[in-house]
Amino acid sequence: MGPLENLTIVEMCGPLGEYAAKLLGDMGANVIKVELPTGSPSRKIGPFVDDIPGPNRSLNFFYHNTNKRSVVLDYRNSEEDRNLLLDLIHEADLVIEDHVPDDLPSLGIQYEEIAKRNTGLLWCSITPYGLDGPWSQYGASDMTALAAGGPMSMNGYSPEDVPDAPPIHGKGDLAYKTASHYAVIGTLVALRHRLKSGEGQLIDCSMHEALSSTTEVGLPYWLYTGKNILRQTSRHASVQRTDPWQFPTADEKYILVFGTGRSAESWLDFKKWLQNDGFGLQLDDARFDDPLARQGGRGTTESKEINSELAKFIASKSAEEIYRGAQARRLPWGTVREPHEILEDNHFRSRGHIVSVSISDENKEHEMPGAPYHLSSTPWELRLPAPELGEHTDDVLGDLQDHSLRDR
Amino acid sequence: MLTLLLRAKVPNDRYNRLMLAPLPLDGIRILDLTWIIAGPVCTRILGDFGADVIKIEHEQAVDPIRMGRPIIGDGPTLNNSGFFNYINRNKRSILLNIRHPEGSDIFAQLVTESDVVIENFSSGVLESWGFGYDHLKELRKDIIYCSVSGFGHSGPDNHYTTWGPTAQALSGQTIMSGLPDAPPAGWGFSFMDHTAGYSAAIAILMALYHRDVAGDGQYIDLSQVEAGSVLTGSAVLDYTVNNRAWKRVGFPPGNHAWEPQVAPHNTYRTLERNGDDDQWIAIACLSDAEWESFVRVLKLSDDLSNEWINDSAFSTNESRLRHQESLDRNIEKWTRARDGYELMALLQSAGIKAAVCQKPGDRVETDPQLDFREWWQTVYHPELGQSTYDGVAPLLQLTPGSVRKASPMFGEHTDEVMQEVLGLSSHQIADLRAKGVFM
Repeated sequence: MGPLENLTIVEMCGPLGEYAAKLLGDMGANVIKVELPTGSPSRKIGPFVDDIPGPNRSLNFFYHNTNKRSVVLDYRNSEEDRNLLLDLIHEADLVIEDHVPDDLPSLGIQYEEIAKRNTGLLWCSITPYGLDGPWSQYGASDMTALAAGGPMSMNGYSPEDVPDAPPIHGKGDLAYKTASHYAVIGTLVALRHRLKSGEGQLIDCSMHEALSSTTEVGLPYWLYTGKNILRQTSRHASVQRTDPWQFPTADEKYILVFGTGRSAESWLDFKKWLQNDGFGLQLDDARFDDPLARQGGRGTTESKEINSELAKFIASKSAEEIYRGAQARRLPWGTVREPHEILEDNHFRSRGHIVSVSISDENKEHEMPGAPYHLSSTPWELRLPAPELGEHTDDVLGDLQDHSLRDR
Repeated sequence: MLTLLLRAKVPNDRYNRLMLAPLPLDGIRILDLTWIIAGPVCTRILGDFGADVIKIEHEQAVDPIRMGRPIIGDGPTLNNSGFFNYINRNKRSILLNIRHPEGSDIFAQLVTESDVVIENFSSGVLESWGFGYDHLKELRKDIIYCSVSGFGHSGPDNHYTTWGPTAQALSGQTIMSGLPDAPPAGWGFSFMDHTAGYSAAIAILMALYHRDVAGDGQYIDLSQVEAGSVLTGSAVLDYTVNNRAWKRVGFPPGNHAWEPQVAPHNTYRTLERNGDDDQWIAIACLSDAEWESFVRVLKLSDDLSNEWINDSAFSTNESRLRHQESLDRNIEKWTRARDGYELMALLQSAGIKAAVCQKPGDRVETDPQLDFREWWQTVYHPELGQSTYDGVAPLLQLTPGSVRKASPMFGEHTDEVMQEVLGLSSHQIADLRAKGVFM
């Protein structure tokens, strides 16, 4: 069982915050997802099983809602359901919700009021821009959040690859997921304070601030030099243009190259690897012996020549061969893989990273990624597949009536 | 003198509030053997919320980020990297030669006084120094040991190594970003160094909670590639359920939407600002209602070039998806002559999701939201002067995190930690220093 098994959580989230509750549920927490009769908005986001939409057919919903139970309560329109929701929250340790600020308070569902009776309650509000401020009423999608927060301005193409290219929105809802990571960090920190003091509190998780904390060297460059860094193709944005890192392979994939041997020993090893196949014969010239001359990003003719030989070498082989060959030489290179290719990699399979689950058809198992971390005594565990809409309404409300909500 | 004046600047309200509140991780001590980015991002977060993070350094293996650009001054001094300062605030630094027999003793004593040991060496390095998890546990029964590595400590490839960008490539994120018919765009920075750090912080906080409730510590094995792979679950399920791979015609879809499939959803050029013509606004209409608001805004904007909006080709989402190229061209004609921030305010006031693609400088100098939230914090650093940092997310109303100290100078706290944590006398410290323990 995970480390959070004695925690009961009421979740009211769509795509922005539901990953936070999954992270907690996957580590043992008892997560009750409260949905309106129309279902969480993420049930309407594809891809869908066989491309047929339906509340219980979204693979997007399926992935982000494991280890939760679903309760339907029409808390917008029904006084009775609203009271049931308040009763549920009174029994809970934590509420995670991603409604726009003021929405739930306008329905009479407000942290400050509820906390008068449940003083230890933790309440995590995940919003696009935070609970106050001039942009607090602004909406966001994953893309617009990455735009405002800064990551997108660093991501795109070098002009020689794609002229006039815009900043690029990487897919995968990583803005929502970054907000969710911060929400979980804040919640766990607040949980520790509660353990010591008994006090609950409000956690104001702004996606904008989470993303604004996720731009690596971009901010220090501005703060210390007053320069914005420039987008480049599949490598770090930089104040100066640097040499390419990404090279196509014989099997129409790409390899991401990170270093070609800084020490004399690793340089020899690297050189031999290319030369065994007849590439880079000129690299034996003495002018390549200086590590500074070889270093990318300094604009030397030597580094350009190394790159051009390397490109030819990589183009003659499969991605897997280059990847394994580089790692065998202690070079931290990687294949640019599609998401599903992790399933075909025995390393991750042998670590138990791949889990199986049945979706829509109980006779068939489907694979997906499992644990983001391995905790030796309280491991990640898939106890429940994502719930169908309202699947647990009767169970949970029955338990609420019997005061056994926390018994599982 | 100038420095003194700057330091005398009156702190703002949030700063006062932050300084008076109790720190929620007060009393937690972290022995931090990490370097580069992923590990330090994790311990930065724990330090922000009040943990005592002791960064263990060594003269023969200096954290390369201490020499990371931007360097302020003529050359690296180990204390003048703006990047290092940014990711190592709120920490203490000690010099310790763990491979020296007495250094090894000091490390063992520190373990007994700590809650967490974290490292991001390749698999097997700490064991080779005699400090595998089993030994750490002998030193302190409830220790939490967290290793952050590219591939984790088990499995046939556990000796392989990554940097942030190669972890992104292997886990699927690089290929999920880009224009169709162009090479993958990647992420433009080490997104996975951040995210591996966030995941490690989450795992450590969960293990601490379990320890506080149940009494036992544990061993956390975090692989950076796995921490990335879990972010791609919908795409993996599309493959295992629908047999549809990510790479296909039209993919990756640039700034058009993947799911939900809606249009318009793109970035559009806006008016030049401060002599910089690389200005873009991201606009997404996620529903028909949002599209209808967008139409109203365009009709009210008194611009004859907006006649296209009445074209029936754009009346339904399905049809807009089919005609996305002309839709985008028309929208950009409208945005091109306008300021991004004005467009953002106009569109948001009509309920449309829109945001300027802000550069780092825009966030620091222009962003009114971050300014209102008193996001930027300033602390003095001996070589970098007044240093600005981003704040601490999320905001815990009762026990917020805070920026209290700049990054430590190389080995700045060796004596302090030896006295305060291990109770060594100045005589003992001098003796150990003479033997080469603190180097």
